[in-house]
Amino acid sequence: MTPLEQIIFLLKAVPVTLAISFLSFLLGLGLGVSLAFMRIYGVAPLRYFSDSYEKFFRSVPVLAVMLLLYFGIGPLAPIFKDPFFTSVISLGMVSGANQSQIFRSAIGSVGRTQMLAAISIGLTQLKAMRYVILPQALFLAVPGLGSEIALLIKDSAYSFIIGVIELMKHTDILRASQRSLILPYISSAIIYVVMTFPVATYLDKWGSRKKRELGL
Amino acid sequence: MTSILECRGLTKVYGKVIAVNNVSLGIGRGETKVIFGPSGSGKSTLLRCLGLLEKPTKGSIYFNGVDVYASKQDLNKLRARIGFVFQDPSLFRHLTALGNVMLGLKHVLGLSDAEARRKAYEALKLVKMEDWANYYPAQLSGGQQQRVGIARAISMDPEVVLFDEPTAALDVELKWEVIAVMRDLAERGTTMLVATHELRFAREVADEMIFMDQGQIIEAGSPDHFFTSPNTERARKFMAKILG
Repeated sequence: MTPLEQIIFLLKAVPVTLAISFLSFLLGLGLGVSLAFMRIYGVAPLRYFSDSYEKFFRSVPVLAVMLLLYFGIGPLAPIFKDPFFTSVISLGMVSGANQSQIFRSAIGSVGRTQMLAAISIGLTQLKAMRYVILPQALFLAVPGLGSEIALLIKDSAYSFIIGVIELMKHTDILRASQRSLILPYISSAIIYVVMTFPVATYLDKWGSRKKRELGL
Repeated sequence: MTSILECRGLTKVYGKVIAVNNVSLGIGRGETKVIFGPSGSGKSTLLRCLGLLEKPTKGSIYFNGVDVYASKQDLNKLRARIGFVFQDPSLFRHLTALGNVMLGLKHVLGLSDAEARRKAYEALKLVKMEDWANYYPAQLSGGQQQRVGIARAISMDPEVVLFDEPTAALDVELKWEVIAVMRDLAERGTTMLVATHELRFAREVADEMIFMDQGQIIEAGSPDHFFTSPNTERARKFMAKILG
């Protein structure tokens, strides 16, 4: 394979890497927002659950979760025999804990007076969250979410260990077939940088600008 | 006169601090009442309890003659009928002035987008902010933000509007644009309970002034009463301090 053919071969795996990252981000987003609201506004058992979830999944390596689900739970629950699905679930669960922390801090920054003002016009607490607190928290969370997306793109590389044919797997195939360590890994690293750096930088700048414009 | 909003024996305690102590007062339709007194006298806490934003520790609140807490009414529905203007305008920062006013009309009163927009413009026009409808709070001055806050409250057609020191955080110049709006509302017959230090405003529009200190009503009477011969030494001293 020529160097160009090798790079094209690596690029062919990028959609799978991005799909895992995107889907696990969405799962993490849903989990993170729910956990953050449970922690801030929930009754005691929900607060305890959210706190424990966050502490547990922020302490456990994503690879351990992935291997546990695939090899440990997989034989009992066939759904986890699918490596793509298991990767998305593992990354999403861990990301949920990270995103919960991001949203908790963002919701805290929105301030209690906004909730009070929302309630004063007759909104229920749920509607106040939906129309007042969450939209502002989203703006505040954007820079943190940018970093989380970058982390997920990088961590999606673990998926190759349970057999997902993604960028790191293609890198490994090249290493084995071309008997070259340098070009596959350097090229792969550059592709990861191209995928992660602009997203994190753009979202960080966009979030900071919006924060300034809206006086958040 | 039957009161729209009334409290009897209202007490609010935070830890060991008694913020409001056994206060009873009522406000009838079309009346403007002004509560004044030194900082920390319990005005804001009293208004927040009356606005159903805080539950009193003791005592009752009546809305149109019905005990709010004893009758277990839907507080959200009642809050929509009691307008509240905060000291810090507390506009929703991610929404334009128009968006701020439309939010309650759409999601509390259930108006259509077009109807909510029409009513929101009307309210903004009343406070002379219609030209700023598409501006975000961060692009408005403090006085303009407060006028939008008033528009947000009155757009819901509340039966009574509570003002919690709406000019306290504003410069002298900006203060007067807000006071002008409040004066307009009083002249239109809006039922208003206003906590303020603006005694000139009180003299012009108030049907009754209520002097509070240390969580209690010390004295109540007409503006003339307070400006000529208040009964208590505390009220006399406070009036002298404010009026210079």
